[in-house]
Amino acid sequence: MSVQTEYDRMIEMEDNVGFDKYPLKDFDQIGRENVRRLDGTEKASGRAEYTMDVQLPGMLYLKFLTSPYPHAEIKRMDTRKAEALTGVRGILRYDDPELPEVADLGGHGPTAIAPIPRVAHFEGEPVGAAVVADTEVIADEAVRLIQVTWEQRPFLLSVEEALKPDAPLAHPEDFPEGNLEVEHVEGHGDVEKGFKEAERIVEFKVTRRLHTYVSPERPCGVVRWNGDYPEFWLKHQRPHENKRAISSWFGHVPMNRVEMHMFYQGATFGGWTQFYWNQGPMYCAAVMAKRTGHPVKYVFDRRGDFYGGSMDEGDYYFKVGFNNDGRILAVEAKGHFANPQWEGFGPGTHFEDNTQIPNLHAPRKVIKVNKGPNTAVRCEQLPNTMAFTLVMDRVAAELGMDPIEVALRNDGGKGHDMAWLTERKEEVGFTPRDSLRECLEKGKAAVDWDSKWHPPGAKKLPNGKMHGIGFTWTHEWDDSCGSGEISMRLERNDGTLSILGMRCDNGVNAETGYCQIAANELGMRLDDVFYRPHTDTGFFPMCPDSSTNTGVNGWAVRHCARLLKAKILEAATNPRAVTQRGMYPPHFADMKPEDLDIKDSVIYVKADPSQKLSLADLVGPSAEAGPLSFHELYGAERHPFSVPLFAHAYQAQIGCYKGFRPKFCRQVHFMEVEVDPETGEIDVTNVVNVNDVGKVISPESCAGQQYGGTYMGVGRALFEEVVHDPSTGVMLNGNLLDYKIATIEDCQIIDTHLVETQQGYGPYGATGIGEDIATVIPALLGPAVYNAIGKWIYEFPITPERVLSALGKI
Amino acid sequence: MEAQTSQYLCPYCSKTFEAFEDLKAHALTAHAGEPAPLPEGMIRLTINGDAYQIQVQPEWTLNYLIHDKMGLTSPKMFCDRGACGSCTVIMNGRPILSCMTLAIECDGNTIETAEGIADQRHPLVETYVKHHAMQCGYCTPGFITTSKALLDRNPDPTEEEIREALGGNLCRCGTYPQHPKAILEAAEILRDKEGGE
Repeated sequence: MSVQTEYDRMIEMEDNVGFDKYPLKDFDQIGRENVRRLDGTEKASGRAEYTMDVQLPGMLYLKFLTSPYPHAEIKRMDTRKAEALTGVRGILRYDDPELPEVADLGGHGPTAIAPIPRVAHFEGEPVGAAVVADTEVIADEAVRLIQVTWEQRPFLLSVEEALKPDAPLAHPEDFPEGNLEVEHVEGHGDVEKGFKEAERIVEFKVTRRLHTYVSPERPCGVVRWNGDYPEFWLKHQRPHENKRAISSWFGHVPMNRVEMHMFYQGATFGGWTQFYWNQGPMYCAAVMAKRTGHPVKYVFDRRGDFYGGSMDEGDYYFKVGFNNDGRILAVEAKGHFANPQWEGFGPGTHFEDNTQIPNLHAPRKVIKVNKGPNTAVRCEQLPNTMAFTLVMDRVAAELGMDPIEVALRNDGGKGHDMAWLTERKEEVGFTPRDSLRECLEKGKAAVDWDSKWHPPGAKKLPNGKMHGIGFTWTHEWDDSCGSGEISMRLERNDGTLSILGMRCDNGVNAETGYCQIAANELGMRLDDVFYRPHTDTGFFPMCPDSSTNTGVNGWAVRHCARLLKAKILEAATNPRAVTQRGMYPPHFADMKPEDLDIKDSVIYVKADPSQKLSLADLVGPSAEAGPLSFHELYGAERHPFSVPLFAHAYQAQIGCYKGFRPKFCRQVHFMEVEVDPETGEIDVTNVVNVNDVGKVISPESCAGQQYGGTYMGVGRALFEEVVHDPSTGVMLNGNLLDYKIATIEDCQIIDTHLVETQQGYGPYGATGIGEDIATVIPALLGPAVYNAIGKWIYEFPITPERVLSALGKI
Repeated sequence: MEAQTSQYLCPYCSKTFEAFEDLKAHALTAHAGEPAPLPEGMIRLTINGDAYQIQVQPEWTLNYLIHDKMGLTSPKMFCDRGACGSCTVIMNGRPILSCMTLAIECDGNTIETAEGIADQRHPLVETYVKHHAMQCGYCTPGFITTSKALLDRNPDPTEEEIREALGGNLCRCGTYPQHPKAILEAAEILRDKEGGE
């Protein structure tokens, strides 16, 4: 296989909308169990370094003034007392003459945002001033000394209030016409016709209260100027976006003069790193670092980390038409969402992606209220999974049908049936498999569905609690769109492989996965492969370790490994070098690259495996590769030398969501609960996750996303709710004592299973898993609790108070 | 103008003297042979087996001292105060929250951090890696210290006891199911080692 052929194949696999035409024959490292995670010892010993840990000589700390009101503008601000406090090194005011009116401060694309706003649109919003001081304590004290004359404005906390005709404006500067920012519509067919044809119709409303991301490492960053060149330490999921934005600051700093460090990330789940202003603090820190000549670090406190939340907050209105056999004919799903920061998804996409429902109308209203911005918080599909689960399970409940039957009756895609979906699978080269049925086979057996599922409210346990069991399903997804780049170098001396790429580790063990792919592709021992993060300059994988790893970066690693393998075999069969004294003969004379292969890091002749050469011997000792080769100097015998063995590859993919690529892989989940009818408390006693990930790279990492996502999902369903005081608009629980996330005791058994139908658009037919489970699980509590108590609770989270209210006890 | 009075304070017993010579005579007789007292704000700590003598400010937390001043990065600040267990260190054998403990009150204490637990090759570190009892890793050192303290006082814990011991440690990535597995395996390794000795 020549390098050119391999390169052509790589190009051919771009914009991947089909199955890999050049599959791998043997999976010896991919899918292997018990592969040691590369980050293990560092993280377990506490020596893994995070941006929060960064300490630099002479470093100052930056703190923002925050708004005490949900909607208010600064009329006057006196910072003199704060400036006079010993240890304060500077205050950056919103009206600082050197501050530009707007700068590119975050978001997916370039944005134009004020570095320090003068008007606050939610309580706790950083506004007015940023203080830098010798310590965090002094900075906090200085912030308290700033005297502000505020003009309070009327405020809104719910989408319902915001849509009233006489409602005040929540964001009059940006949305002077009204609180409805925009309305998107998706769907197909004619729902009115569907409702007319339907034998049954049900209508209901659901409310999802605000919840947030709670990243363990809080938003933070450090900046230092080295002469004219800035150096940044970032806590962020998208380092490439940061570098682009940073480069645009200060009248343009060329990209090659911006130095960046990406350490381990204490997780973000989207969240902070997606808000439009997320680089605002870094901008202010950069200004003040330049002004003071000191490095400046900003760290939000825990309440500050409650800056915004998840974009599923809002009200959902459903009207569903269906027949007595469980076939759904029409779904109208209207979503009224509070403060989404970007287009995102409405409540209809999963009906579109997964079902044969012929008529769908799903408008999505984006509405402004005076709370923090909402964005994708593991993940933007939350409105969809909420809508999909509750509609599917409600139809089953109305008919007294097994919800699995309803799932199978409606499975399909784009309003078409399974035959259509099978055609699409064949069309793009997959070997068609019925993913939903394969998932169900595993899941039903694991949870013992046939003996456990019962009519609602029908099973009282000896402990006095009501037993419930719920089921849901949807497609398996990843954000496999965008581009990723990777490079690889075979090291001199020992022939080990360094994969070079930007680090942005959020914990999903992606770097180990890349090593497994590379080792498998190259025929190397896994121990010989290492991910060597470049924390400063590229190569930039696609959002490393957030929305897509395998789906895009996995391709890039695969291409790169194949390119490098072709180069290695060419190097082994070609003259190693030509000098003035003549030629270094090839290692394998009179052979072609295709006569050779690599196994266990050793090149061998396919026809005669006894003829072999280790990769270490191929690359030779480094002394012979340098300018001062003593053998060359003295004209002595010829010693090993090889060309530098380096490869660079990339993958660019489009069409993850917009209909280019129908979804073929499915996931199913089951949840058992015990509901105490006296206290309203819910115990989640058993969860079964079955995910068709297409192809498993690391079984343990996949399982980690399943049980980890389940815990996050269970917490979201049971108690995660950011509460605002209706009379003042002040957030009441911006801390981890009053805002509960799941502890080890909040879920009992989690049983995880994987299915591999190889019908994903990633390499080897893989698709994603990281975002899926935490997103699907929250709504599943609804049908599980319904099965326990016979009442639907459509206000999430389902707290004991809401259970008792549903039971008519309060 | 008020008359200035100067008093000299005995650093051993806080007795006051009008004249420096009197203090000197007192110290040489009443406290002869005693080790030199520590200056105000100076504390002695044993951290991971090493002895330290450190000057601290009264408002410093133990976390600030260990993490920010001494550069041991394992005690992490996740919740930002007293709610998550990520800053847990073992002090005199008990797991404590370093963010809720004033450094100045820790004089004479013995402290273990995850770095020390790793350096003594405690099997927990290896079993945590093996069982993927970590994802982003930010809360992991707090789990390691809490688990080590549990095994120190209960070498053969049940899964229920482990879940109870870890009830105060938050993990946002949800690695919870792996911790009992890692701890039970480490306990077994420790018991085997002890049995073999």
